[in-house]
Amino acid sequence: MSKQDASNDPLDSLRKLVDDWEKRIDGVANKVMGTDGFSQAMNQTQKLGLRMQQGFQDAMAAHLKNINMPSRGDVTRLAESVQALNQRMARMELLLEDVLRNTGAGTPTARSGPPRTRQPPSQRKGEPT
Amino acid sequence: MSSTAGSEQLPLGDRVRAEVNRTIARSIKGLDFVISSDPDVGLTPKDIIYERGTLRLYHYHPMADEVYRVPVLLVMATTNRSYVFDLAPGQSMVEYLLREGFDVFVIDWEKPGPEERHLDLDDYTFDFIPTCIRRVAEHSGEPDVSLIGYCMGGVLSLIYAAGHTDGPLKNLVCLTTPVNWHEMGLMRRWTDPNHFDVDRIVDTLGVVPTEFILAGFTMLRPAQRTASRIRAWDNMWNDAYVRSYRSFDRWSNETIPLAGAYFRTTMRDLMWGNKLHTGELRVAGRSIDLANITVPVMHAIAEHDHIVPLPASKPLLERVGSTDKNEVVLKGGHVSLIAGPSAVRRMWPAVSNWLAERST
Repeated sequence: MSKQDASNDPLDSLRKLVDDWEKRIDGVANKVMGTDGFSQAMNQTQKLGLRMQQGFQDAMAAHLKNINMPSRGDVTRLAESVQALNQRMARMELLLEDVLRNTGAGTPTARSGPPRTRQPPSQRKGEPT
Repeated sequence: MSSTAGSEQLPLGDRVRAEVNRTIARSIKGLDFVISSDPDVGLTPKDIIYERGTLRLYHYHPMADEVYRVPVLLVMATTNRSYVFDLAPGQSMVEYLLREGFDVFVIDWEKPGPEERHLDLDDYTFDFIPTCIRRVAEHSGEPDVSLIGYCMGGVLSLIYAAGHTDGPLKNLVCLTTPVNWHEMGLMRRWTDPNHFDVDRIVDTLGVVPTEFILAGFTMLRPAQRTASRIRAWDNMWNDAYVRSYRSFDRWSNETIPLAGAYFRTTMRDLMWGNKLHTGELRVAGRSIDLANITVPVMHAIAEHDHIVPLPASKPLLERVGSTDKNEVVLKGGHVSLIAGPSAVRRMWPAVSNWLAERST
């Protein structure tokens, strides 16, 4: 198809328009967002949001304490204890496996699955590569 | 945006007719697009062989009658789900490797809970990855393993490799992995230590939320999402295109929050200190110098990567101490490198061929 034929398709112009629009917007946005001023403004806004969130969290925790309910922090601390136990269990499991292996009691059984004897194409004789 | 392939040879009248038919198909399929749920992803059969907190280790069912001796363990980036390795049949790196005769394992990350906010770089590289390698060894019966790390998964793999020089690593493949973090472009600019208060973020939020991470990615290409939607509408008649678009869209929206301590260390030591590049990084009390890596290394990088720019990933090969090392620069972007058309044609075969020669 010649270029002239291609230009007859009205949707092709639309597609090109979208491509150009995307490049232009991204280019302009990247220039603006690459400035020190943008970075500073973005992080200031973020700090403000975080400060508000922290204030809300503190107020909520105080309110929950007043009505004798656990706060998010309390629940998280509880979950952390469970996680610490989990980690300890995992370490003990590994140690136990080591002990069993060293004493011969944990000798692995024969594994199922295909044989692990495959050779790379360059070394397979008589086979098309 | 794909053009009207096939109809270009036809006379104008037929092309107009084809376009009218597509407009009708767009309307019909557009309704289906709106009302149907997201496409299923990660369909290749697998078992979860280990899970702990945020960590999941999958073993995929072999598809070849005979496999290479050395198993392959893929390490996903901590910000995204691993099903980008297995988007759909025919668009799956996992499926490709299985058909090529590899025994494939994948590390996936679930959303860390508030109780996991203390997870740090050393948990990922000196606990999670070594534990998974141990499980892979037990499951496969083989003493060594090849690692394939994507993006931040590549960084974790590099840190593991540099910190376990006596470990069971056979080969290391990194996919678009940042090494020189001072070349991270806008990401670096936005996280300038003069303005970016990482301590306040981590101390307030504990776990850095999805919206925060997603906003960072979206702001790199603010027009991309809208343009992609217009292209999806244009190709609404094309089921394969729509399926692929929806799978990628689902994946990019399912960004994973980051554990606060891990985010803080990434900012301080990698983004600001650039310690992976300078060789000054210390993790779990050990020196992490890429020069200590001596196993065969391959690095696949994307020419038009807007998340990990070329200058950030390029120095990897010159920094590692390996003598057997290879770099492949491919056309495409950060995600299309692993699951786009260029991946299917070039990246997957390149990785498979390279690993095949080193997996017996």
